[in-house]
Amino acid sequence: MISRRLKIGLVCPYSWDTPGGVQSHVRDLAEYLINAGHDVSVLAPAIEESALPRYVVNAGKPIAIPYNGAVARILFGPIAFARVRSWISTGNFDILHLHEPAIPSISLLAIWAAEGPMVGTFHAAAKHQKVIYAIGPILEPAIEKLSARIAVSEAARLTLTNHLQTDAVVIPNGIYTKRYSLGMPVQKWSGNTLGFIGRFEEPRKGLSILSDALPIISRFAPDVRVLVAGPGDPGNFMELVDPELRDRFEFLGQISESEKADLMSSISLYIAPNTGGESFGIILAEALAGGACVVASDIPAFDSLLEGGEFGALFKSQDSTDLAKVVIALLRDRDEREDLARKGKEHAQIFDWDMVAEQILSIYEMAMIGGTKITLASENRAWSRFTQREGER
Amino acid sequence: MRNILIGALLLLVSLWYLSFLAARLDRLHHRVETSWANLDSLLQRRAAIALEIARSDFADPASALILTSAAYQAREAGVQERSSAESALSGALSLLLVDDQSDVSTAAHLLLEELKLLTAKIRIAIAIHTDAVSSTQMVRRKVGIRIFRLAGTAPLPLTYEFEFDAL
Repeated sequence: MISRRLKIGLVCPYSWDTPGGVQSHVRDLAEYLINAGHDVSVLAPAIEESALPRYVVNAGKPIAIPYNGAVARILFGPIAFARVRSWISTGNFDILHLHEPAIPSISLLAIWAAEGPMVGTFHAAAKHQKVIYAIGPILEPAIEKLSARIAVSEAARLTLTNHLQTDAVVIPNGIYTKRYSLGMPVQKWSGNTLGFIGRFEEPRKGLSILSDALPIISRFAPDVRVLVAGPGDPGNFMELVDPELRDRFEFLGQISESEKADLMSSISLYIAPNTGGESFGIILAEALAGGACVVASDIPAFDSLLEGGEFGALFKSQDSTDLAKVVIALLRDRDEREDLARKGKEHAQIFDWDMVAEQILSIYEMAMIGGTKITLASENRAWSRFTQREGER
Repeated sequence: MRNILIGALLLLVSLWYLSFLAARLDRLHHRVETSWANLDSLLQRRAAIALEIARSDFADPASALILTSAAYQAREAGVQERSSAESALSGALSLLLVDDQSDVSTAAHLLLEELKLLTAKIRIAIAIHTDAVSSTQMVRRKVGIRIFRLAGTAPLPLTYEFEFDAL
């Protein structure tokens, strides 16, 4: 148990104002730690300075680069390095927690600049990582400076052990399970309904796999409907769907957290047909917490989150026939569906922030055992000590 | 003249690299020591809790005997046999951790809760320590470090083998 108030520095490599898994993880963690009485400062790149919460320090305007099948807004370079250094030297931190430190970003710059107890969380798990990890020998001394490493999933941990020859403790991403467990079933979303949430226009989210499976599913369940929530233009997507099946899709647009909770408790099945690029699958944790019965593709992140199918059904990734088979079997078997949903809801408790943040705090505690604070690495070098002494005379 | 300059530059660069390597190794050695100190203190606390459980009414005489001897062995084990002694204690503790805890007294229940929290911490401490040890071993295999004896007289850290499933 950490009883004293800590000065914690979090570094988020991606632009604060674009939505994303890492950003919301850092935001939720920062807010949890602040509520627990700690003093938290987040360093992140941002486009719009005025919209930042009080605890975020702007590191500068991010640059858009293609990374891991999407466009990542990150930041590096000499000006960023100077900002990172001044943030570290004025922060008087007990500990630094760097997110995604293996990509060229301000997280990596912070490792280079700082000396002392540092913890790193690795989020990504993808084959595209290889390019980044090819520079492993350059990263090695930097990654080594981390007192403890956290991976958000078994898949992320494997990426780490395979490419950087170092191990990590697995701590899942957190959600506020209470927000999702309070959902109420809504009449218009009930029945033989399949739910999908996400940016459906992105191919890796896999909505087209579900629409390919629909002809078979509708033969066995004529009243089946698909409820799609998330940002995007339904028009472009609908052109690719069989005209006879178009009326089965219902687009809800962006929905709030409480609507999400209601949706999860109304639908028969939540479908996650993602084809890859997913390292944790926070949406599955939310679906489980909301009491939905989950059907997901068997990509490594989903497989490990559902523990090999124990807390939700898995189908062969990119195989719409297999998806149809699994969906039909579950639509027919109400008991099995309710059983999976009940087990899943219990399991979702391990993703609750109360559990997750406690584990992260005990990692902090162990990283801080040396008792030193965070300083600039350059201050500890021999010549700096020498010049300082000269100055004192 | 030019050759001398290039030579001097090379010498400077390699000196800088050696000092960089030495600093890196020093940091790792330091981490091995602190992470071991942490793991050691957690394991000592576990042994103390095991003794307390053995003395409580929760343990029957036979398991109390096994638990007491395992706890003492874990406490007195040297560095070499520490891993196996601690694994033996984990095994002894797992004998007691039955699923049905309905007829457990509140005092024993508190002890078991504390043990559960401690076990989670020990897992993390082991992961951090073994990681520090394997990084250190890797860096110490580097040619520069071996030739210039940058490790000095520090002993090569031992890998701590711990049976996770026994926890």
